[in-house]
Amino acid sequence: MPTIEVSLRDLSSIARVDLTPDGLRDIVEVFKGEVTDVKGDYVAIELNYDRPDLFSAEGLGRAIGIYLGSRSIPEYNVDGPATKLDATKAPAYRPYAYMAIVRNVELNDEAIRQLFQLQEILHRDYGDDRRLVSIGLYDLDTVKPPFSYVTVKEATYRPLGYSESMTLTDVLNVTEKGKAYSSLVKPGEYPLLIDDEGKVLSFPPILNGEETKVTEATRNVLIDVTGVEPELMKRVLNIMVTSVAERSRNPVIQSIEATGANSELTPSLNWININVKLKDAEDLIGMRLEPNATTSVLMRMGFKVSDMGDSINVLAPPYRIDVHSYVDVIEDIAIGLGYNNLEPNLPPPTHFGSKHPVEHLSSIIRDLLLGMGLQEVVNFNLISDEVMRSIGLINFVKLSNPKIKDYSALRSSLIPSLLLTVKVNQRLVGKLEAFEIGDVVELKDNTAATSRRVGVLLMGDGYTLTDGLSVVKSLLKALGMAANLRKCGDKPFIPVRAVEVLVNDSRIGCIGEVDPEVLVNLGIEKPTVIGELNIDLMLSILKSLH
Amino acid sequence: MVVLPPLQYSIIKALAEVNEPIDADSLASKVGKRAEDIMRDLEELRVRGLISIEYRLVTRVTLTDLGGEYLRLGLPEERLVAKLRELGGKASLSELNKLVGLSREEFAAALGRLRRLRVVNLSGNVINLTDNEGELMNYINELKSFLSSIKGTMEYAGKLPEPVEEARRRGLVKVHQVKKLMVTITQEALNLYRIGELTSARVITSLTSADLTSGSWRSGVFKEFDLAVEVPLRPIRRKHPFIQFLNQIRDELVAMGFEEVKDEHVDAALWNFDTLLVPQYHPARRETDVFYVENRLKPRETPVEVMERASEQHELVWSYKWSRDEALRVLLRTHTTLVTIRQIYHRGPGEYRLFSLDRVYRPDTPDPTHFMEFHQLEGIIVGKEVTFRNLLGFFTELANRLRLGKVYFKPAYFPFTEPSVEGYVKHPRLGQLEVFPGGMFRPEVLKIVGLSSEYKVAAWGVGIDRLAMVVLGVDDIRTLYTNNIKEIDSMKTPIGVV
Repeated sequence: MPTIEVSLRDLSSIARVDLTPDGLRDIVEVFKGEVTDVKGDYVAIELNYDRPDLFSAEGLGRAIGIYLGSRSIPEYNVDGPATKLDATKAPAYRPYAYMAIVRNVELNDEAIRQLFQLQEILHRDYGDDRRLVSIGLYDLDTVKPPFSYVTVKEATYRPLGYSESMTLTDVLNVTEKGKAYSSLVKPGEYPLLIDDEGKVLSFPPILNGEETKVTEATRNVLIDVTGVEPELMKRVLNIMVTSVAERSRNPVIQSIEATGANSELTPSLNWININVKLKDAEDLIGMRLEPNATTSVLMRMGFKVSDMGDSINVLAPPYRIDVHSYVDVIEDIAIGLGYNNLEPNLPPPTHFGSKHPVEHLSSIIRDLLLGMGLQEVVNFNLISDEVMRSIGLINFVKLSNPKIKDYSALRSSLIPSLLLTVKVNQRLVGKLEAFEIGDVVELKDNTAATSRRVGVLLMGDGYTLTDGLSVVKSLLKALGMAANLRKCGDKPFIPVRAVEVLVNDSRIGCIGEVDPEVLVNLGIEKPTVIGELNIDLMLSILKSLH
Repeated sequence: MVVLPPLQYSIIKALAEVNEPIDADSLASKVGKRAEDIMRDLEELRVRGLISIEYRLVTRVTLTDLGGEYLRLGLPEERLVAKLRELGGKASLSELNKLVGLSREEFAAALGRLRRLRVVNLSGNVINLTDNEGELMNYINELKSFLSSIKGTMEYAGKLPEPVEEARRRGLVKVHQVKKLMVTITQEALNLYRIGELTSARVITSLTSADLTSGSWRSGVFKEFDLAVEVPLRPIRRKHPFIQFLNQIRDELVAMGFEEVKDEHVDAALWNFDTLLVPQYHPARRETDVFYVENRLKPRETPVEVMERASEQHELVWSYKWSRDEALRVLLRTHTTLVTIRQIYHRGPGEYRLFSLDRVYRPDTPDPTHFMEFHQLEGIIVGKEVTFRNLLGFFTELANRLRLGKVYFKPAYFPFTEPSVEGYVKHPRLGQLEVFPGGMFRPEVLKIVGLSSEYKVAAWGVGIDRLAMVVLGVDDIRTLYTNNIKEIDSMKTPIGVV
């Protein structure tokens, strides 16, 4: 989850109320945030993905001020269009671009830090790491409108943070951002944002220009979004514009007309209109709601509302891009009322509960094996694919992105897990009689299928197939099943000392003395008998018996 | 009449005959035992007031190997004089040394002693015997008669005989202080014994079937059970405590009217993410957060109408181009919401409560509270009248049943629920535990799986391993999944109290 860092003084000035770290702790809970660190004036706050408008001091301060009543919901007027953005020659793989202007801003060092923090988190968590949306901010007074978003084979400009000009290819090869994001552009079809005189504003989504950057001297800010998802881009642009506007006493927002794949004026800064039926809110939360109290809660949560009798007309500000439908408004009603003020209420069930039949049979088998004196063990379903292959298992789910080699596959049998159990315990105890009941994932016709198994393990000198079969046959007898045995050459057993177990002529498992070659390869020094039965099959046999 | 076990009776009898303090070793030999074999009986007799026990300090003098050798062969000075006399009372030092068979040190010491007592004198290299042997003979006789008197080892209660110090100094004896246990019969016991009021009977420590059938138990006495003696513990073969805990959770859910359901561990992203409105560009779908499958597997079930509705709702809510291929990627489920959402698709409208308690997988970096495989307790309440307050009520009731105390709620975010909540409890040692995430499924989600809009669904997915760690007294999540017999033995048995 994104963590932002804000200055308490800066935040207080935007919220227009004096905030303390403790006061902030309580308030950010309303916005699904948590104060994770306080260092002098700086506070780290972990936020959730759903409110990108809060990813900097501008938006968070605005929301807190409105919630505490120290400031009102802002109004936004858009003049324009001030100029044009020609995107007709945009690269086909990244065809969209929009722009907006915010005038009369006053930026200090902290304000610039906050806006870049907002930009970075939106890139990462909302723009799929710049793939969907890339954002740029410029000092409007360093460029000459109109602007163009074009495709070039190569160009030269001075990238942000560098004292020399370089080619786009060099930007990709040399700069940190270039190396990180080069996969987002196609060689020889580079996107470029230029002004009327051909000056490079940005090489999106890689790196902006040094000469057009926003500084403390900047009074008028030009914002662009480029990318592949126009609706998402316009929403992100709304958040950027309204956040930059927080840095002005008298913001003038101007639109720019984009032409190209999607021709339109941006920013729209349209309010999101949602009609919420009071009854829907009551039914979802589960309590009667007073219309007056409900509207005042919604105002504190930052909505413009008008009471329509049995419904409330809600206008969500343009930066509330998380509001999609009436349930999003209803959640804010519940949050405004306070979750801990809602009385928990669970009516008695209308149906009987039940355990899954596989768990039911597993419990019975567990009790029977414990009664025979075997100890239950547990293993992970994730296992090393090397261990799987070392005992002759080849058909199993392998992870494409394992984190650790020892957990690079899903087991398709309990036998490898039981061999690992022997390995762990061989020096701790002389003998071991144990079992595991667990799931495996088999591959059948190229589809993964989960299956419940029981595995039995006898480790130590003197154990033979006879001892293993005693356990298996006693278990099946107690379950009312007659077992037939047939010799089999299954791995990883000694070929002449392994059998498959059949009930009603169908195979439900196998058991054998583990091949010494396998034991030695795994570093096991004690003779081992292992058996495995399929509980799913046993369950269907038992069902057919009754 | 006082009835004693046979051995204790013979101890009293022996003590009555001696009728004075006697040490435990001598007493034991009188009754044909070793001292250590009668200690417990002595203690029982003492507790009954029939004997008294005191400890006495004695000095034990033991002959050393050297002492034994000198006793057998004579003291070095004695042997030197004898040899010298044999040689006619005069010999050269080297000759004498060669013939007498003493070590260099012994020879030098003996010679020194003889010269000091003037038994010999030296002139140049020649040694001469004088007639002045009286004092030496006294010394030798006294020392040798002491050494032979201790007969290997001897104990002295009071003053030690004179030559002990000289013998110790020369390394012929070892001297120790020893505590001796002295036993005396009490006057009361002596009286009882003399008037025949003490008798003996068989002691029963373990009743046998033969005792019962023959009736011989009637003439025996039961040995009094000694609580001071530690009993050995039996090895237990028991359910794996983590499995037992999970089954207790199942029992609670069943008691609350929930039906358990299961589903596949490996499935299409469609069910794990897309039906739940998690946008395809969401960080939770990246390879750092999800295990994808290397094998080219066919997804199990990808109904056309679900795919179409997912595409439609994703584009409506999140405004991006939804990819069919991304939805068909096969992965290891990251949560069991996959289980419940598919149940809704298959069951459709109705009033039902379902739960799933099973394993999920995420590429988390392992640490004491995270592993790449863990359990989720997932559940849904489906119905026309289901509310957010019902969800809060479910958490409160579950916390109550698991003895977790009061649940506090705070707003939370999940892409598939609205309103969303995180319930937490306050643990005395571990502080705030966020254990109950949940919410009401979004109408868009229900639309994707085809549930009519009259129905509402309260849903939750609890990470149960953290609770298990608290209940089982385990500090590392990996220990919950242990196959190590010693670790299993050390885990607490879950008894339903946190």
